Amino acid sequence: MEFAGKTILITGSTRGIGAAAAELFLERGGSVILHGRSQAGVDAAVARLSAQYPDRVHGLAADLADRAHCRSLAQKVGALDILVNCGGIFRDAPIAETSLAIWDETIAVNVTASWVLSQELLPVLRQRRGAIVNVGSDAAMLGYASCVAYCASKGAIVGLTRALAIETAPHVRVLCVCPGPTDTDMMRQSVTTAPDEAQAQLQWASYTTLERVAAPREIGEAILMAASPRATFMTGSIIMADGGATAGKRV
Amino acid sequence: MAKLTFDYEGYVALVTGAGRGLGFAIAKALRDAGATVAINDRTSDACDAAIARLGGGDRLIAAPADLSTADGPRHAVAQATSGGRLDFLINNAAVNVERSIEATDDVHWDTHLNVILRASFLTVQAALPLLKAGRGCIVNVASELGLHAIANNVAYVSAKHGLVAMTKAMAIELARDGVRANALCPGTMDTELMRDCATDSGDPEAYYTAFNRYHPVGRLASPDEIAAFVLCLLSPAAGFMTGSAVAIDGGSTAGRL
Repeated sequence: MEFAGKTILITGSTRGIGAAAAELFLERGGSVILHGRSQAGVDAAVARLSAQYPDRVHGLAADLADRAHCRSLAQKVGALDILVNCGGIFRDAPIAETSLAIWDETIAVNVTASWVLSQELLPVLRQRRGAIVNVGSDAAMLGYASCVAYCASKGAIVGLTRALAIETAPHVRVLCVCPGPTDTDMMRQSVTTAPDEAQAQLQWASYTTLERVAAPREIGEAILMAASPRATFMTGSIIMADGGATAGKRV
Repeated sequence: MAKLTFDYEGYVALVTGAGRGLGFAIAKALRDAGATVAINDRTSDACDAAIARLGGGDRLIAAPADLSTADGPRHAVAQATSGGRLDFLINNAAVNVERSIEATDDVHWDTHLNVILRASFLTVQAALPLLKAGRGCIVNVASELGLHAIANNVAYVSAKHGLVAMTKAMAIELARDGVRANALCPGTMDTELMRDCATDSGDPEAYYTAFNRYHPVGRLASPDEIAAFVLCLLSPAAGFMTGSAVAIDGGSTAGRL
């Protein structure tokens, strides 16, 4: 029960990687604040988990694209030990078709929200010697076609992680877990909108050395490892949970 | 010293943030190598002053635009490409104001993210048809702070890391079009911006001493030596280079002295 007595806020945790991480924190004793964009989604996620973990599941809704919402979310959080910035969006489009709206929304949700929440929650995290775990992507290290805004946003998250780690040491540890392709709604949406669905599915898997996409829980485990009190000498770390995607590739 | 020479006669380049500092040095090097160079800076006055310092002539084009705005980047590209050609796009414009986490407000954050990251995306987007037509070359001037971090610079570090990642995405997407995109990651240069930062620090001498020591080679870079490398990157000598993040940082990211 390594997270007993710890409170963890996980953005984007009504589904996907965030939801998997939330379940793992609960299994290991933590109290979790779930977050999603819609109140209905948050309520459903809280209801689903609180039956099994009464008193340890809370929920807050906020639109991460709006920094006023991020600030109000932070204000509603009291004591906090671990912030997991997991909420993110992926809008694939070639450079020519990446509208200003796609660009601005991607940066707002994937970078600025993580920055604003980190800044707002730093006082409590400092006081409690807490940790921030940002969720990056293998796309922070590897360029992919038709997702220039997403790649830029995930690169920025790596920079944010390092800058926060340097400036908040030794009080707060700041780390970044970079998942490879993971079986979530986000990825499935990209697959189902592709011209050839089966081929798109194979292509995602082909980016990895393990030749498969990750289960959300596998990424959740990496997030828990980063947040764990066993990781006390790890800060500023960029942890690749990418099935070997950044290790190299076959000819 | 051995002298590298390049012949860019007939080529057209846009250098953003070319009013001073590294941008000016790159513009000068390209002009000296025969290229037609569009000089972007925030104001017409700044562009005109840079062009005057370079001695004027019909191979220098003023392309003033505020790159922090949504339409500024497109405007800069439009002015640079009135001749219907663009071979080299050098995204150099930046802001760099050191602030603690606590003192970083929304305007500060947005200005850094927009000028460094969004503007570099938007100029590429606007220039893409011409870059593809001429199998051109993009150089995004990032920073060693696109590869690692220092304290009191969170917005800049985030934006520069984003720029490195974005450059790779562009390189992959444009690889089959013959358009190369590379990120340059210079260490600290002795530019006007550096002098501003030193003045802002309250103790310029200590500031310079700290940054000299910070680089294993024990000195700052001169803008001219970085500009010379940009000319290499643009040349056929670097024809197989794309998607690279090139540290040119006096050993700063290599290790600890």
